[in-house]
Amino acid sequence: MKRFSESVKIAFQSLAANKLRAFLTMLGIIIGVGAVVAMMSIGYGAQESVISSVQGIGSNLIIVTPGNREEESHGFEQMIGEDKDRKALTVNDVRTIEREATLLNGAAPAILNSSVVKYLNKNQRVTVYASSEKAEFIYNFEVDKGNFYTSSDVLNSANVVLVGQTVINKLFGRIDPMGKIIKIDGKNFTIIGTIKPKGTDQFGNDQDNSVTIPITTAQNKLYGIDYVNMIIAQSKSEDTMKQASYEVERILRRAHNLAPDEKNDFTVQSQTQLLDILGTITSIFTITISSIAGIALLVGGIGIMNIMLVSVTERTREIGIRKAVGAKNKDILLQFLTESVVLSITGGILGIAFAVTVSVLLNNFTILTTNISAFSIILALTFSTVVGLFFGIYPAMRAARLNPIEALRHE
Amino acid sequence: MEDCKENNCIIDITDITKTYRLGKIEVRALRGIDLKIRKGEFISIMGPSGSGKSTLMNIIGCLDTPDGGSYFLDNTDVSQLKDSNLADIRNKKIGFVFQTFNLLSRSNTISNIELPLIYSKRGSEKTRKAKIYESLKAVGLIGWEKHKPSELSGGQRQRVAIARALVNDPAIILADEPTGNLDSVTGEEIMSIFQNLNRNGKTILLVTHELDIARHTNRIIYLRDGLISNEESIENPINADQMLATMPKLEDKVSKSI
Repeated sequence: MKRFSESVKIAFQSLAANKLRAFLTMLGIIIGVGAVVAMMSIGYGAQESVISSVQGIGSNLIIVTPGNREEESHGFEQMIGEDKDRKALTVNDVRTIEREATLLNGAAPAILNSSVVKYLNKNQRVTVYASSEKAEFIYNFEVDKGNFYTSSDVLNSANVVLVGQTVINKLFGRIDPMGKIIKIDGKNFTIIGTIKPKGTDQFGNDQDNSVTIPITTAQNKLYGIDYVNMIIAQSKSEDTMKQASYEVERILRRAHNLAPDEKNDFTVQSQTQLLDILGTITSIFTITISSIAGIALLVGGIGIMNIMLVSVTERTREIGIRKAVGAKNKDILLQFLTESVVLSITGGILGIAFAVTVSVLLNNFTILTTNISAFSIILALTFSTVVGLFFGIYPAMRAARLNPIEALRHE
Repeated sequence: MEDCKENNCIIDITDITKTYRLGKIEVRALRGIDLKIRKGEFISIMGPSGSGKSTLMNIIGCLDTPDGGSYFLDNTDVSQLKDSNLADIRNKKIGFVFQTFNLLSRSNTISNIELPLIYSKRGSEKTRKAKIYESLKAVGLIGWEKHKPSELSGGQRQRVAIARALVNDPAIILADEPTGNLDSVTGEEIMSIFQNLNRNGKTILLVTHELDIARHTNRIIYLRDGLISNEESIENPINADQMLATMPKLEDKVSKSI
């Protein structure tokens, strides 16, 4: 034990004797570890906020979108807008699903668009969520003041609207918005309620800069269309998600009169699948960045090996002295190995400190959410130890194998 | 020739040989050396460069092994040991003192003296400290514990080296030209320390060029071309303390306690 603590002491002494050199050597490790930890924190942060925002819209959701996502060649056609399937889903589909499904709490259509709203002389560009009365529960719109639009509002294409907090602040300031008339794309709408603040989503979008109106009003009076962007259905329980998804698929195939050999003109995805996809995207991001950082660590390791070889040459005489007074080969090996590990772990700790700083700054001053996990810190420390051991072993072995007589003669 | 039958020999070397290969040339550094050193002896080896002095010292110091012959150190055969066992022997049985001091420049006096103790497993922290203090006292360096070699004079550095050689209470002290880098007064002071240690029972082997230094010991071995060419017993060795009294002071004495 005394020998080991002596090794650690010697290691710090010899690093302190060459502070600048030690720091420059560690820089590779600092950058490598810093990059790994910082990038992982961004990756995890993104993953978490995506997951929470997907879960935030409600639970046990089944999402139906137009077009068959499984057909790969479709992507391009969809992009140039020649896809007939774009119009595949309608409000009638929602009604059919609601009428026939046994495993669902309900279903709501949705059209998302960006429009300018106007009150007196003030303008604001907002996101318009058009849906049915079911959206209050399925989408988790929490009403602050007033009431959500009703089924009869939807049936009658009523010009009613609920507004988010940002819209209230921008258009009304301190004035009570209830009952006021605003213009959306030039049409008059009466404010019947306000929505509780939701904050920003993972992409930094202000979710409160939005209004919601009945879907029929949007279709008939604003956009002049008869289709919807998506349908969101809610399964009665988590256990029946799969069966519920099949049920929705079956109902829609029949409603669309698809022959058995025809492909779906829509895609049914469960919330879990969506989460999986998003998870995959963020973990690919994390892996890519981490492997780049891994290369930085490798380069840092080579730097350590280089400096340790220099150190062995410089301290040949010291090695000779130690061997003359009874140091065994393994004592010398341990001493130099300790030194390279101390070098790399110190670099690792500084790198973590650097990453924590970066991550806190990103969290506070940018739209990125970061999360430093214990796992990434342990991983970084393990990696830097391994780098120290791996790149330190060769120089340490060279030191250990020196002939004491020649080492003592070395100038 | 000394008699080693009563196990009173610290070193018992019989017919050792050592040959080096330098490219295609073979150098026969030692061609059959017999050497017995009794416990408590103060002995010196003299010889011109190339006589095999260094090779013999390296073998006696267990830094190297002979090609042939036998070598018993403190009644242990050390001629065929492995590296790690040799390291153990060096640690416990041998104390080296070099011409160029060979101290660790970044370590202070205490840490330099402690070095052999770090590599030997025995001893508690308390006995360790006691041993260091005793060695420090023996070379008269009390008060210089925290100084680094660069803050010490040549004579003081050599005293640190002697203290380091003493700290593990070795069977023999090997001093290779210990006064070679020192002025004559300081050299005499070092010889005084060796003579004091010898009077207290330490076995010391000295290698030197200078006959004046060799005449401080009880016996001189002359080496030439890898063989012992002559041996001389000194009836009245030079007393270093008496010599010092007649010499001008060049370097302030560190401590009077020696």
